[in-house]
This record gives sequence, structure tokens and C-alpha cells, in this order.
Amino acid sequence: MRQDERMTDEAIAWAVRTGDPSFEDWDAFTAWLEADPAHAREYDRAVAAVMDAAEDGFVAPANDDVPSEAPARGGWRWLALAACIVLVVMLSFIQLRDASYVVATAAGETRTVALADGSDVTLGGGARIVLDRDDPRVATLERGRALFSVRHHEADPFVVRVGEQTLVDAGTVFDVVRADTVTSVAVSEGVVLVNPERKLARLEPGDTLSVTDGSDAYRLGTAPVARIGEWRDGRLTFDDATLGEIAHELSSSTGIAFSAAPAVAERRVTGSVALAPVEQNPQAIGPLFGVAVRREGDSWIIDRP
Amino acid sequence: MSSNRAPNGLEAAFLANRERLLRFLRARGAGDAAEDLLHEVWLKITTAAVGPVAAPMAYLYRTADLLMIDRYRSERQARRRDKDWSEAAATVPGVSDAPSGERVLIARDHARLVAEALDALGPRPAAIFHRHRIDGVQQRQVAEEFGVSLSTVESDLRRAYRAILEVKERIDEA
Repeated sequence: MRQDERMTDEAIAWAVRTGDPSFEDWDAFTAWLEADPAHAREYDRAVAAVMDAAEDGFVAPANDDVPSEAPARGGWRWLALAACIVLVVMLSFIQLRDASYVVATAAGETRTVALADGSDVTLGGGARIVLDRDDPRVATLERGRALFSVRHHEADPFVVRVGEQTLVDAGTVFDVVRADTVTSVAVSEGVVLVNPERKLARLEPGDTLSVTDGSDAYRLGTAPVARIGEWRDGRLTFDDATLGEIAHELSSSTGIAFSAAPAVAERRVTGSVALAPVEQNPQAIGPLFGVAVRREGDSWIIDRP
Repeated sequence: MSSNRAPNGLEAAFLANRERLLRFLRARGAGDAAEDLLHEVWLKITTAAVGPVAAPMAYLYRTADLLMIDRYRSERQARRRDKDWSEAAATVPGVSDAPSGERVLIARDHARLVAEALDALGPRPAAIFHRHRIDGVQQRQVAEEFGVSLSTVESDLRRAYRAILEVKERIDEA
């Protein structure tokens, strides 16, 4: 026990040191890690806990809607839990302040955001989503690609707003892409209802739908379930997508600028791209889609072969 | 975009110190995946638009370290999901398996629990934690702002980290 405590103390001390941008003594840190294989896990635990706390954004102490008195040392945890139980009752009655926040990713970056209800959202590169700290059952995807893994809640369905479209889950894993005014949805598990109040479509595993704002014409399709969300593992599959859309997706996912020449931008192709080789060599997509890829300044143009 | 220019200082540092980084990743718990993760570090530095880096080695180590933390966090997330699913599967068919009110409440409110835990340490550690971790101010500068030594800042941060770790663990057990 005492040994474990000491290891935790050491892990915390390292987490404090490596957490500063000016930290340079990585050799000493490596030596500590090598001293015991359990050190790495302990360090992960400490850093992850602190990152979680920092990302929760953490509310100002002594918040006025929690009826907490200055708690006695040692007993504060129980008081805090008790305060929470009071709070859950209050939550049903009081209107909370606006607590929305934005999570955005850079091109080439992937990030998973855990929501307070146990759901999570993984964002692909160049995505932007608006979430609400007080209502984890609502999300607005403004652009990019997101994979939602949603906890089912009969009385409180999870709602995703994308442009003019509303998606309502029924306990689900589903992928959503927003590019310009086009919204595409693919369901991997469970059921998603699209626009239940306007023109309802019901999507089951393997179903895909895309729709453009300003129109209620749904383009329905199917996709192998195993492929949905595979972008998290570094693969993008395009099914009858235009080269313009593909260029956009590749740019977001890799951080490399692709664009499609006007002559081919509307051409539709199908194929599955592993991203790592494309990141090494952008011209690798040429043979797959039967196009030429040439460099122009800082970007790569997809054009006629 | 940086994928199509000559190798820069960062890439040169990577190539010259491949073995050191690999050793770090192994020590960091990467195991058999160390080579793959090293490749990911390479992809990150070659595809992201990285500005001039004053200390390339520190930058590379940090990139590798963050990669391992990401990995730990996503594995943990997957474990939680599996646990939640197995619990959900154990409920009576046809009955809503909504999580208990207490559970949702604890999750929903951990930010508040963390804030209270930090508050319990006294005003300075909480304020120092906030300045460093939320505002992103370097520890040396935080020390100047608060008129304390760097080691006091470090010690306050250690206390804050410890308090957060305890709260998070309590939440996980709940």
C-alpha cells in the first residue's frame, strides 16, 4: 500500500513537471519509467485525470446554485456528494444558465469528447461541434465528421442538429458528416430518426442518408456496418462520392490540402483509402480513383489523368 | 501545409534520435506498438503545420507522450463503454435501461466536485492550478504572478493533481 502511494506521488510529481511547456529533462523521465513497468500506467492515470478536469472546464468554486457550506477537511467529499443529490432534485426545477461550449479539431486531428451522460463523440479533422455542459443530450455539428456513441435514454433522446437537419437517436452509434450544406449520416448500431418533425426517415444499421439544406430529397443508401466509423482507424471509404467531396474529406482528415480541378470535381467514384500512405505520398490516390494528382504551390490538385 | 517541403529541423531531429524516442515509447508502455506509434509521431510532425520549434527533442518527446496519453484515454473510454453495455444487457428486457439518477448526476457534476476538491486545498493551489492548466500559463510565470517560488508552484500543483485524481477515482468507482 505504502509502495503504491509513493509511486502515485512520484507519478504526480512527473505529471506536474512534464505538464510545463518548458520541461526538457525527458531522459530522467525515461529513466523513472524504465525503473518499473507500473510507472507508466500510474503516470497515465494522473495525467488523464488532470486533463479530464481541465477539459470539463471546471466551474468556479463556491457556485451559488450548490448549497455547500465550507466543508470540514476530510468530510468534504461526502458533503459534495450530498450537495449533488440535492442538485439533481433541483435540476428538474431550475433553469440553468447558458453553458454551451465549442470543441473544434485542426485538420488531421482526431479527438474524442466524453459527455456527462456517458455518451461520447469522436471528431475527425477540421470539425466543429457545439455542446452544452448542462444538457449532454444535445449537440450541434457545424462542420466536419463526427462519430456519436450514444447512451440510450427512453425519456430523453439524444438530438444532433446539423444545418437544417435534426437527428434523433434511439440508442446508437452513428457517423455524421457536414460539408458545406450537405449532411450525411451512416448508422452502425441502433436506430436514428432523421427530421422526425418534418419528413421522417428511419435509419437502421448499415443505412446511409445524405441531404442538402433547402431540399427534402433524401439520398438513401447502404454501407457495410464494419466500415462505418472506420475513419477513426485511418481509413476513409467513399461510395459514389464526387471527387470534390473526396478532396475536401482528405484535406480535413490528413491536414494536407487537396482540391479537385473543375473538370473532374463532379465526377463520382467509389473506393477505400488508407490515410497513412496518402500522408506519406499524396499522389497515392491517383491509381485508386483513376486520376492524376499534381502539386500546385502548397496544395495537391486532383485532375484528369 | 508542410507535406511537400524539404525535411526541417524537427524532422532531422527525429531521424537522428529515432532510437531514443523508441526507447521512450517502450518505457511509456507502448510494448509491441512502439514502432507504429513512432511512425505516428513522424506523421504528426510531417503533416501538421508546425512552426519553428526552439527545442526539437522536447517537442518530439512531448508529441510521443501525448500520443500515449491519448491512447490510454481512448482505451479507458472503450472499457467504460463495455462496462456500461454489459450492465445495460443485464437489465430486464422491455424495461428502459436508463442509468440511475445518481449515476448521471455524479457524471454530470464532476466538474463541480473537482472545483470543490480544489477549493478545499485553499485559495492559492486552486488559483495556481487554474492559471497553469486552464489559462495555459507556464509555471515560472505563474510563480512570478503569485509572488512565490517555482517549487511552491510545483508543490501546489502536486496537491491539486492529487485531489483531482482522488475525485476522479471516486467518480469511477461510483
